[in-house]
Amino acid sequence: MSISTDLAATPEHNESRTLVRRILTNQQFVLFIVLVALVIFFGSRNALFFHVGEFSNLFTDFSGLVLISLAETYVITAGGIDLAVGSTAAVSGVVAAGWIQPLVSHHVNQGLVLLAGTLACALIGAVAGGFSALLITAFDLVPFVATLVTYSVGAGLALVISHGAPVGYNPGAIYWSASGFGMITWLVAIVLVVAVLLGLVLHLTAYGRYNFAIGSNEFAARAAGINVRRHLVSVYVLAGVLAGLTGMFFYIRSGSGAATTGVTNSANLVAIAAVVIGGASLIGGVGRWAGTMLGAAILTVVSDGLIFINVPPTWIQVVVGALIAVAALLQTFRRRSRRLT
Amino acid sequence: MTQAPERTPVLELRNINLHYGSIEALHDVSFTAYAGEVIGLVGDNGAGKSSLIKTISGVNVPDSGEIIVDGVPRHWRSPHDSMEAGIETLYQDSGLAPDLTIGANVFLGRETRRKGLLGRLGVIDQKSMEREALEQLVRVGITIPNTRRTVSELSGGQRQAVAIGRAIAWAKHVIILDEPTNHLGARQAAEVLKVIKSAREHGLCVLFISHTLPHVLEVTDRIIVLRLGQVARDAPTSEFTVESLLGTITGLNE
Repeated sequence: MSISTDLAATPEHNESRTLVRRILTNQQFVLFIVLVALVIFFGSRNALFFHVGEFSNLFTDFSGLVLISLAETYVITAGGIDLAVGSTAAVSGVVAAGWIQPLVSHHVNQGLVLLAGTLACALIGAVAGGFSALLITAFDLVPFVATLVTYSVGAGLALVISHGAPVGYNPGAIYWSASGFGMITWLVAIVLVVAVLLGLVLHLTAYGRYNFAIGSNEFAARAAGINVRRHLVSVYVLAGVLAGLTGMFFYIRSGSGAATTGVTNSANLVAIAAVVIGGASLIGGVGRWAGTMLGAAILTVVSDGLIFINVPPTWIQVVVGALIAVAALLQTFRRRSRRLT
Repeated sequence: MTQAPERTPVLELRNINLHYGSIEALHDVSFTAYAGEVIGLVGDNGAGKSSLIKTISGVNVPDSGEIIVDGVPRHWRSPHDSMEAGIETLYQDSGLAPDLTIGANVFLGRETRRKGLLGRLGVIDQKSMEREALEQLVRVGITIPNTRRTVSELSGGQRQAVAIGRAIAWAKHVIILDEPTNHLGARQAAEVLKVIKSAREHGLCVLFISHTLPHVLEVTDRIIVLRLGQVARDAPTSEFTVESLLGTITGLNE
């Protein structure tokens, strides 16, 4: 082979090789394969897993996790962490359930009741997120500590207000939560639409770009004229609102707000797990919407699937731990392979 | 370099004073700078170099004094204001977001919106930004194979070249470079100095802050020496040698 053809051939050869490598080391691709493999595995061990009803369940469970996971994606890619999403969801559900119970008792149109509840939950979530943002931007607390405060206050208030028991009773909400088309309920459809919007904002808009820039190098973002403080406030408020909406989601599913069932205070850790499995860096600056969606889907399938193959639910967290470890190792491997090129 | 007296200075500082609490950081600092001029800003640690560039770029607000850009008196409320007025600042080691692509970094804070409704909703035009970023970098003499690479994949010299290229591409009047050749090897530093010269050819005024005196002597037209927050000397580069410059910086020459 002459030198000139060798040189000419090299770039193209490299191009196709890096393409193959890029696909194989693409976290989203690997996650998708894992997700499909898990569904096939659980389905092959128990055919009921492939039942339409179970798929509907999977979508619903996924929806309960997806908004707080995306909230966490915004916060983590911006270089922060939000430990409060679980307890914010719980306290929003409990408080809003109390507020809208008079409407339920007076037989106000169910659509209006749920709309009022949704707004109330979003508002309470915004207040909780704003509280974290205040501690971080005005009092310079690190996000871990600031959101730990919000987490603790929210979790405590949820218990105080509810006395540990479900708040309110709204069978109409449960009834509505089951309505929909095929295996997708209206509730799930709404959550998925919101999720898609969040993905578009994260990856296609200036807002999303600033989010990654701040997480990657806060000083560079500030030097580029980005209002870092205002952006961070908006991110924590957004996370709070999404947590509040998750609280409403569980209210609708169970017809009441509760501090101990449905969404629990430890949901924050599941949401963070979804983000980490999705390939985001906890240092900030790196993460993908699709990665988090797949991470949340894998966690949902594992949690539901293990029950189908008669693994005691107590083991689920152990398996989730193993999943996080594998995802983190995959990321380390990917980073190393990139450095070698 | 001689300047015709009637030319409007592109940047003029008049009696700038700045305090951090009871500590006086800048005392009556005044100088003028013209387009197409590379000015070295040197001084010992704590002499006020950082305070001065932060004042020019709008990070610090002076207690008194005037900043006049291209004949217009200005009052910065934030770094964003100075950027709007045509002053770009490249801070030491912190100019770029490593996880973003080269193109995204060039356009950071100035993202091109898509046309129509999508643009009004905040959707940005990634393709045109990547294309224009490449053009802008080529224009100032920086060749990067692919602007879709993330900055973390570049070498230190390449990163610095991109950061300076971005500043030159956006600056209308002045670019401030804080220790741009720090931590760079000899060849990479030479590349950076070449880019600085190309900025001068583009009619920009460059404020070059550096501790590496041979670099300052090589690339500048004029040197301003700061000592204890005051201008100790402001003279054409040809009047200095490394030794005399060092003497002025430390104050041993007087």
